[in-house]
Amino acid sequence: MDEQRRHILEMLAEGKVTADEAERLIDALERERPESPPRAASGPKPRPKYLRVMVNWAGDSGGDGPGRVNVRVPLQLLRAGVRLTSLVPPQALTKVNAKLDKSGVPIDLTELKPQHLEELIEQLDDVTVDVDDPDAKVQVFCE
Amino acid sequence: MIPQLVTVRYRRSDGRRRRLFVPVLPVGLVLSPLLLLAVPAGLVACLATRVSPVGALRGTGQLLWALPGTRFEIEYGRTAVLVSVR
Repeated sequence: MDEQRRHILEMLAEGKVTADEAERLIDALERERPESPPRAASGPKPRPKYLRVMVNWAGDSGGDGPGRVNVRVPLQLLRAGVRLTSLVPPQALTKVNAKLDKSGVPIDLTELKPQHLEELIEQLDDVTVDVDDPDAKVQVFCE
Repeated sequence: MIPQLVTVRYRRSDGRRRRLFVPVLPVGLVLSPLLLLAVPAGLVACLATRVSPVGALRGTGQLLWALPGTRFEIEYGRTAVLVSVR
Protein backbone atom coordinates (compact mmCIF):
# COMPACT_ATOMS: atom_id res chain seq x y z
CA MET A 1 0.00 0.00 0.00
CA ASP A 2 1.49 3.33 -0.95
CA GLU A 3 1.78 6.40 1.22
CA GLN A 4 -1.04 8.47 -0.28
CA ARG A 5 -3.55 5.66 -0.08
CA ARG A 6 -2.60 5.00 3.54
CA HIS A 7 -3.03 8.71 4.30
CA ILE A 8 -6.55 8.70 2.82
CA LEU A 9 -7.48 5.65 4.89
CA GLU A 10 -6.10 7.29 8.01
CA MET A 11 -8.20 10.39 7.32
CA LEU A 12 -11.23 8.11 6.91
CA ALA A 13 -10.45 6.36 10.22
CA GLU A 14 -10.08 9.69 11.97
CA GLY A 15 -13.41 10.84 10.55
CA LYS A 16 -11.88 13.74 8.64
CA VAL A 17 -13.46 12.48 5.37
CA THR A 18 -16.54 10.38 4.66
CA ALA A 19 -16.38 6.95 3.02
CA ASP A 20 -17.66 8.46 -0.28
CA GLU A 21 -14.99 11.14 -0.23
CA ALA A 22 -12.31 8.56 0.52
CA GLU A 23 -13.50 6.43 -2.38
CA ARG A 24 -13.41 9.42 -4.73
CA LEU A 25 -9.91 10.32 -3.55
CA ILE A 26 -8.66 6.77 -4.13
CA ASP A 27 -10.28 6.73 -7.58
CA ALA A 28 -8.57 10.01 -8.42
CA LEU A 29 -5.29 8.59 -7.20
CA GLU A 30 -5.65 5.57 -9.48
CA ARG A 31 -6.61 7.73 -12.44
CA GLU A 32 -3.46 9.78 -11.95
CA ARG A 33 -1.32 6.69 -12.30
CA PRO A 34 -2.83 4.37 -14.94
CA GLU A 35 0.58 2.84 -15.57
CA SER A 36 1.10 1.98 -11.93
CA PRO A 37 2.28 -1.52 -11.38
CA PRO A 38 -0.61 -3.87 -10.64
CA ARG A 39 0.29 -5.67 -13.88
CA ALA A 40 4.00 -5.62 -13.17
CA ALA A 41 3.39 -7.02 -9.73
CA SER A 42 1.32 -9.86 -11.14
CA GLY A 43 4.28 -11.24 -13.07
CA PRO A 44 5.94 -10.81 -16.45
CA LYS A 45 4.00 -9.28 -19.32
CA PRO A 46 2.39 -11.97 -21.49
CA ARG A 47 4.12 -12.41 -24.82
CA PRO A 48 2.26 -10.98 -27.79
CA LYS A 49 0.77 -13.49 -30.20
CA TYR A 50 -0.18 -11.38 -33.17
CA LEU A 51 1.34 -8.78 -35.43
CA ARG A 52 -1.24 -6.15 -36.21
CA VAL A 53 -1.14 -3.72 -39.13
CA MET A 54 -3.80 -1.02 -39.26
CA VAL A 55 -4.08 1.58 -41.98
CA ASN A 56 -6.81 4.21 -42.10
CA TRP A 57 -7.12 6.91 -44.71
CA ALA A 58 -9.64 9.63 -45.26
CA GLY A 59 -9.78 9.35 -49.04
CA ASP A 60 -10.12 13.05 -49.79
CA SER A 61 -7.55 12.88 -52.58
CA GLY A 62 -10.05 12.01 -55.32
CA GLY A 63 -10.21 8.31 -54.50
CA ASP A 64 -13.22 6.15 -53.83
CA GLY A 65 -13.74 7.42 -50.33
CA PRO A 66 -12.21 6.47 -47.02
CA GLY A 67 -10.56 3.13 -46.54
CA ARG A 68 -9.27 0.84 -43.88
CA VAL A 69 -6.89 -2.10 -43.78
CA ASN A 70 -6.75 -4.22 -40.68
CA VAL A 71 -4.43 -7.21 -40.78
CA ARG A 72 -3.75 -9.57 -37.89
CA VAL A 73 -1.09 -12.20 -38.45
CA PRO A 74 -0.03 -14.71 -35.79
CA LEU A 75 3.68 -14.36 -34.99
CA GLN A 76 3.84 -18.14 -35.24
CA LEU A 77 2.87 -17.83 -38.90
CA LEU A 78 5.73 -15.40 -39.47
CA ARG A 79 8.11 -17.87 -37.81
CA ALA A 80 6.83 -20.70 -40.01
CA GLY A 81 7.23 -18.53 -43.09
CA VAL A 82 10.75 -17.59 -42.10
CA ARG A 83 11.64 -21.27 -41.66
CA LEU A 84 10.43 -21.89 -45.21
CA THR A 85 13.08 -19.51 -46.53
CA SER A 86 15.71 -22.06 -45.55
CA LEU A 87 14.31 -24.23 -48.35
CA VAL A 88 15.11 -21.72 -51.06
CA PRO A 89 17.90 -23.31 -53.15
CA PRO A 90 21.26 -21.46 -53.15
CA GLN A 91 21.22 -21.06 -56.94
CA ALA A 92 17.91 -19.18 -56.66
CA LEU A 93 19.41 -16.92 -53.99
CA THR A 94 22.37 -16.21 -56.27
CA LYS A 95 20.03 -15.16 -59.05
CA VAL A 96 18.00 -12.97 -56.69
CA ASN A 97 21.23 -11.38 -55.41
CA ALA A 98 22.30 -10.59 -58.97
CA LYS A 99 18.94 -8.97 -59.75
CA LEU A 100 18.96 -7.00 -56.49
CA ASP A 101 22.48 -5.80 -57.23
CA LYS A 102 21.39 -4.77 -60.71
CA SER A 103 18.50 -2.78 -59.22
CA GLY A 104 20.86 -0.92 -56.91
CA VAL A 105 20.07 -2.92 -53.77
CA PRO A 106 23.34 -4.64 -52.90
CA ILE A 107 22.02 -7.12 -50.34
CA ASP A 108 23.55 -10.58 -50.11
CA LEU A 109 20.65 -12.86 -49.19
CA THR A 110 22.95 -15.85 -48.73
CA GLU A 111 24.29 -14.08 -45.61
CA LEU A 112 20.80 -13.94 -44.14
CA LYS A 113 20.55 -17.14 -42.12
CA PRO A 114 17.26 -18.56 -40.81
CA GLN A 115 18.41 -18.11 -37.21
CA HIS A 116 18.92 -14.37 -37.88
CA LEU A 117 15.40 -14.12 -39.20
CA GLU A 118 14.09 -16.03 -36.19
CA GLU A 119 15.84 -13.56 -33.91
CA LEU A 120 14.25 -10.75 -35.88
CA ILE A 121 10.80 -12.25 -35.33
CA GLU A 122 11.56 -12.72 -31.62
CA GLN A 123 12.39 -9.03 -31.29
CA LEU A 124 9.22 -7.98 -33.12
CA ASP A 125 7.36 -8.14 -29.78
CA ASP A 126 8.48 -4.64 -28.89
CA VAL A 127 8.01 -3.06 -32.29
CA THR A 128 5.55 -0.21 -32.56
CA VAL A 129 5.30 1.93 -35.66
CA ASP A 130 2.93 4.89 -35.73
CA VAL A 131 2.67 7.12 -38.76
CA ASP A 132 0.25 10.00 -38.46
CA ASP A 133 -0.60 11.98 -41.54
CA PRO A 134 -3.49 14.42 -41.95
CA ASP A 135 -5.06 12.03 -44.48
CA ALA A 136 -3.87 8.67 -43.25
CA LYS A 137 -2.76 6.80 -40.20
CA VAL A 138 -0.60 3.68 -40.08
CA GLN A 139 -0.05 1.57 -37.01
CA VAL A 140 2.08 -1.55 -36.72
CA PHE A 141 2.31 -3.27 -33.36
CA CYS A 142 2.21 -6.62 -31.60
CA GLU A 143 -0.61 -7.64 -29.30
CA MET B 1 -4.32 -26.81 -34.22
CA ILE B 2 -5.11 -26.85 -37.92
CA PRO B 3 -7.56 -24.25 -39.26
CA GLN B 4 -11.16 -25.30 -38.78
CA LEU B 5 -13.19 -22.55 -40.32
CA VAL B 6 -12.37 -19.91 -42.90
CA THR B 7 -14.82 -17.04 -43.06
CA VAL B 8 -14.97 -14.80 -46.09
CA ARG B 9 -17.21 -11.76 -46.05
CA TYR B 10 -17.47 -9.14 -48.71
CA ARG B 11 -19.56 -6.12 -49.42
CA ARG B 12 -19.91 -4.87 -52.95
CA SER B 13 -20.09 -1.23 -53.94
CA ASP B 14 -23.86 -1.56 -54.46
CA GLY B 15 -24.20 -2.55 -50.80
CA ARG B 16 -24.82 -6.27 -51.34
CA ARG B 17 -23.21 -8.45 -48.73
CA ARG B 18 -22.09 -12.06 -48.92
CA ARG B 19 -20.78 -14.35 -46.22
CA LEU B 20 -19.01 -17.59 -46.92
CA PHE B 21 -18.11 -20.09 -44.22
CA VAL B 22 -15.65 -22.77 -45.33
CA PRO B 23 -15.21 -25.69 -42.91
CA VAL B 24 -11.65 -26.72 -43.68
CA LEU B 25 -11.72 -30.38 -42.62
CA PRO B 26 -14.85 -31.45 -44.57
CA VAL B 27 -13.71 -29.51 -47.64
CA GLY B 28 -10.26 -31.11 -47.31
CA LEU B 29 -11.87 -34.55 -47.16
CA VAL B 30 -13.94 -33.83 -50.26
CA LEU B 31 -10.85 -32.62 -52.08
CA SER B 32 -8.62 -35.42 -50.78
CA PRO B 33 -8.43 -37.20 -54.19
CA LEU B 34 -7.02 -33.99 -55.64
CA LEU B 35 -4.63 -33.68 -52.71
CA LEU B 36 -3.41 -37.20 -53.41
CA LEU B 37 -2.59 -36.07 -56.92
CA ALA B 38 -0.92 -32.93 -55.61
CA VAL B 39 1.48 -34.87 -53.37
CA PRO B 40 3.41 -36.61 -56.23
CA ALA B 41 3.35 -33.35 -58.20
CA GLY B 42 4.88 -31.57 -55.22
CA LEU B 43 7.46 -34.33 -54.82
CA VAL B 44 8.51 -33.99 -58.46
CA ALA B 45 8.68 -30.20 -58.08
CA CYS B 46 10.89 -30.59 -55.00
CA LEU B 47 13.25 -32.97 -56.77
CA ALA B 48 13.39 -30.72 -59.83
CA THR B 49 14.26 -27.66 -57.75
CA ARG B 50 16.56 -29.63 -55.38
CA VAL B 51 14.49 -28.78 -52.35
CA SER B 52 14.24 -31.32 -49.54
CA PRO B 53 10.73 -32.87 -49.80
CA VAL B 54 10.70 -33.60 -46.05
CA GLY B 55 11.65 -30.02 -45.25
CA ALA B 56 9.01 -28.70 -47.64
CA LEU B 57 6.35 -30.92 -46.09
CA ARG B 58 7.35 -29.90 -42.59
CA GLY B 59 7.39 -26.21 -43.55
CA THR B 60 3.97 -26.45 -45.17
CA GLY B 61 2.61 -28.24 -42.10
CA GLN B 62 4.00 -25.56 -39.78
CA LEU B 63 2.51 -22.86 -41.96
CA LEU B 64 -0.89 -24.59 -41.93
CA TRP B 65 -0.76 -25.09 -38.16
CA ALA B 66 0.07 -21.44 -37.58
CA LEU B 67 -2.79 -20.09 -39.70
CA PRO B 68 -5.59 -19.94 -37.07
CA GLY B 69 -6.02 -16.40 -35.81
CA THR B 70 -5.13 -14.79 -39.12
CA ARG B 71 -7.45 -12.00 -40.15
CA PHE B 72 -7.42 -9.68 -43.16
CA GLU B 73 -9.88 -6.85 -43.37
CA ILE B 74 -9.83 -4.40 -46.25
CA GLU B 75 -12.36 -1.64 -46.68
CA TYR B 76 -12.26 0.75 -49.58
CA GLY B 77 -15.13 3.14 -49.96
CA ARG B 78 -18.27 1.01 -49.94
CA THR B 79 -16.43 -2.18 -50.86
CA ALA B 80 -15.09 -4.41 -48.14
CA VAL B 81 -13.50 -7.85 -47.84
CA LEU B 82 -12.83 -9.81 -44.69
CA VAL B 83 -10.98 -13.12 -44.51
CA SER B 84 -10.67 -14.74 -41.14
CA VAL B 85 -9.14 -18.11 -40.29
CA ARG B 86 -10.16 -19.82 -37.07
